[in-house]
Amino acid sequence: MTTSLLDVAATVAGRSRRSTLARRAAALGLVALVMFAIVGPLVLSDPAAQDLSRFLEAPTLAEPLGRDDYGRSVLARLAHATRLSLVLAALCVATALVLGCVAGIASAWFGGWVDAVMRAVSEAFVAIPALLVVLLVSALASGGSLWALYLGLALAQWVEYFRVVRARSGLVLGSPAVEAARLLELGPVHIVRRHLWPDLRSLLTTLASLGMVTSILAMSTLGFVKVGLQPPRAELGLMITDSFAFYDVAPWMSIAPIAVLFLLTICFLGLRTSEENR
Amino acid sequence: MTDNSLAVHRAVVRHGATPLADVADLRIDTGRPLTIVGESGSGKSLLAHALMGTLPPELAVEGSMTIGSTRFDLADRSGRRHLWGRRLAMLPQEPALALDPTMLVRGQVAEGAPGWRPGDVAALRLAHEKLDHLGLAHAGSAYPHTLSGGMAQRVAYAAATIGGARLLIVDEPSKGLDPGSLDRLADLLAAHVADGGLLLTITHDLRLARRLGGDVLVMRDASVVEAGPAERVLTTPSTDYTKRLLAAEPSRWSFPWMANAAAADPTAEPLVAAHGITKSYGDTAVFQDVSLEIRPGERWALTGPSGVGKTTLGNALLRLTSVDRGTVGYGDVTRGRLQKLYQDPALSFPGRVPLERAMRDVMRRHGADEARVRSLLGEVGLPLEILSRRPDQVSGGELQRIAIVRAMLPRPVLIFADEATSRLDLLTQETTMDSLMTEVAGSGCALLLVTHDPDLATAVTDHQVRLGQDRSALLEPAV
Amino acid sequence: MADHRPAVGVVIRRSALVGVLARRGVQAAGVAVLVSVLCFLVVRSLPGDAAYRIAAGRYGYDLVDQETADSVRAELGLDRPVWQQLGDWLLHLLRLDLGRSLVTSRPVAEEVGYYLLGTLQLAAVALTFAVVLGGAAGVLAARRPGGIVDRLATAWVAGVRAVPPFLLGLLLVVVFSAQLGLLPAVGHGDASSLVLPALTLGTGLSGLVARVTRDAVVEVRQSEYVRFAHTKGLPERLVLLRHVLRNAAVVLVPYLGVQAVILIEGVVVVESLFAWPGLGHSLVHAVFWRDVPVLQATALVLALLVVTINTVVDLAVLWLDPRPRRLEASA
Repeated sequence: MTTSLLDVAATVAGRSRRSTLARRAAALGLVALVMFAIVGPLVLSDPAAQDLSRFLEAPTLAEPLGRDDYGRSVLARLAHATRLSLVLAALCVATALVLGCVAGIASAWFGGWVDAVMRAVSEAFVAIPALLVVLLVSALASGGSLWALYLGLALAQWVEYFRVVRARSGLVLGSPAVEAARLLELGPVHIVRRHLWPDLRSLLTTLASLGMVTSILAMSTLGFVKVGLQPPRAELGLMITDSFAFYDVAPWMSIAPIAVLFLLTICFLGLRTSEENR
Repeated sequence: MTDNSLAVHRAVVRHGATPLADVADLRIDTGRPLTIVGESGSGKSLLAHALMGTLPPELAVEGSMTIGSTRFDLADRSGRRHLWGRRLAMLPQEPALALDPTMLVRGQVAEGAPGWRPGDVAALRLAHEKLDHLGLAHAGSAYPHTLSGGMAQRVAYAAATIGGARLLIVDEPSKGLDPGSLDRLADLLAAHVADGGLLLTITHDLRLARRLGGDVLVMRDASVVEAGPAERVLTTPSTDYTKRLLAAEPSRWSFPWMANAAAADPTAEPLVAAHGITKSYGDTAVFQDVSLEIRPGERWALTGPSGVGKTTLGNALLRLTSVDRGTVGYGDVTRGRLQKLYQDPALSFPGRVPLERAMRDVMRRHGADEARVRSLLGEVGLPLEILSRRPDQVSGGELQRIAIVRAMLPRPVLIFADEATSRLDLLTQETTMDSLMTEVAGSGCALLLVTHDPDLATAVTDHQVRLGQDRSALLEPAV
Repeated sequence: MADHRPAVGVVIRRSALVGVLARRGVQAAGVAVLVSVLCFLVVRSLPGDAAYRIAAGRYGYDLVDQETADSVRAELGLDRPVWQQLGDWLLHLLRLDLGRSLVTSRPVAEEVGYYLLGTLQLAAVALTFAVVLGGAAGVLAARRPGGIVDRLATAWVAGVRAVPPFLLGLLLVVVFSAQLGLLPAVGHGDASSLVLPALTLGTGLSGLVARVTRDAVVEVRQSEYVRFAHTKGLPERLVLLRHVLRNAAVVLVPYLGVQAVILIEGVVVVESLFAWPGLGHSLVHAVFWRDVPVLQATALVLALLVVTINTVVDLAVLWLDPRPRRLEASA
């Protein structure tokens, strides 16, 4: 029917224009944050250098974010914390993505017992909150181990990719287009390159940017409940928690890490493609 | 307010500056239904929605209409809301989608009754009577997903007319209906007219237009090309467009490839030989004990009402679906040279890559060069440049012809066309079928056609398998 | 033909019910095994001498010597082969024998039961808040997609998603407790101590609920059956009540099931923040003090809570939507 077609076309056009603009802004913001995380630790002073005489010093031109309760540079600590968050989150997401994709496509492609086993494992995993897995795994190591955090976050997230990729690949592999490709004997390379990958790409971008948000937030949350990374390491969650005791005398100490955390998550959320908006 | 006539005075629907429907004056009286026919995109559905007051807000409409003695401005959409169900009703395009999937049928019919309030017992009784009258007494306590297409159509009819509206607008009712269900619907609509109702039908199905009689309006590119009594317009049309439209009906086709049929050799080794194949989903048998052999160059049709398992049988013959019992065997030359055309060609191409890239993979695999693709595309009337687009940037008819070209590249011995033209309007169907059959006749490959249109089956094939509701298959060899 | 159809429908729904229960039962068993094995691995791979650390957790580092560590080792059977310990572990679980807390020495079942009640209380209030607020916002936003309310709701959703619950909680404490002095920040006294934790948890969830409600309502309002309900002559209010809300719920309810995982995660954080005596609080404590039996039991109960919520969701969907379906979409 012509009417419904016009209907859809008009709203989609409006929405996609706004969403490309938002995505561009988000990408720009991310580039700025990444630059800060790469360049900051190289040029700024040592984040661990204490100077108790400069306890809670207010922001100055030389030290734009002031100093914390040990007299350490908040800006330098922030740069290190941002780098840590980004690197660790990216590692976790990459691991979970590769693992989930391979398992998901294998499950959809081969079906049968491969699928049954994979599904049983994922069913058990999916009912366990990610934070719980991370908590349990980080309990393995005596607090503050990066390895435990990485393993826990990756382990908690691969199921998401597995489930989505398996469901989507199942649809694609069962579609008339793939049936036609099989009748034309085009082979598995064609099916992956022309059918699966183009279809999964935007979905994975969305999932990965959401995964970055989840990882960054989970890391800071764990820091907050004192079972993640331990002081004196510069980490966003720890910085926020520690600074809250001084929020009325040294607000810059709290606002700086909160702002970075918020910007990181907002930018990653803004990266999502318009078709998967959750 | 006797509502004994409807008059429309110059109705124009626009999107921006583009007119999408522009109809001067039309009039419907009791006892004389009006049917608007035309290809998709001709603006006929928009006209129906403009009269109803249900156009989407981006579309501008001007003009007026008179029901009985009351005049309404078409631009004022909410001004007709109080008429809905009481004086003005619409039978929706897809009845199966127009019923709330979470609610029993009875309640959905009852809520259309005049002055209905939640818990209205009298309305429920009325709904039961209405359904009973349509032979659906038992459907009241069923959920919509258990109804067949024809049953859903009649339930929607009951729900639309229970409010007592005299003026009924019917929008493309024939979509997906088999001939039997279409006949029952036509009887219902005729009864509405006989009871003194006013009827406006929008359809691209000339058989329905013929059955309804009354007046016919032919639309093309937003405007009316011909109008007059059905018996004249649909038999001796005066404009070229209507003549072409009539000639596009499969029963009137005449193409060179139609004569070519008897060339098949009945003693040749079969390409596909099925023996006693049976298939069921759960407890429901799809087909039982079907045997048939397809030889080189033969043209077979699988026909029958919708939902009877034609596609499943076709897929079983191509070994795309496993069978529960029986065997499907292939001749020596068959393997890898069976191709299929799909009902929705857009779904049969990788949706997110340009057609050219998908086509290159086929060319590389089957050793076809660009000259061959260009000449094949030329034979179906398309330029090579069309391949630079993505599947969603090409019309359904064009894409189906590209699919035909793709299917010809591996030099197939059998092509399975699964309702390949059922979503296309008459003219596009004619072009597409002509392209397909020219290729089939030229290459001497066999054809397996699944269709619910018996006229199409007769025009194109010389062997038919008719699948019945009782899960039997009736073979009808060459006439 | 039509008259036996409803009967067939009933049979289908009954078998669907059995299917849901069987599937969720298997999932619950899988979860139990997975959590137990994870817990077991945690204990096995504690750095240094596990027995020594557990003893330290129990008696404090100053009071631990080799002797107490050995007695802990014997008590927990840490000197036996790995497979035997794992089998033992699972066997105990099968008999619902959760053991005693290494820290307080009280039976774990008793402690966990107490904490479970606290968590359920908090989660119920938070969930109600989220559904009422988010649902209303979603329905309002869906009235005019792209309108002002819709854009405000979208901004709200993104803002809430970007702020982790612990930060939201801290901000609420600063505003309501420290600055305004309206509400107590911690503890488990009267009803007012529930307000801040429930608000923190509910606000985070309300964004997600609003988003899904909005999308579902917009989609349902564009459906053919809602259009048809209008042209039947039904007034707007009745169309919303009879057709839109129920069908939107068919989409929303499974989504709430998926969110159960997020709810539980929020519970862990919010309880720690507000010292609310619930499972999350006790879990974090157990991890911190290496109180293995409590750790195992709370993790298990939390995971089973997710399975239970999803079972309820499945049954609700079965009741809402009569169509046969594959239940793979929900968690």
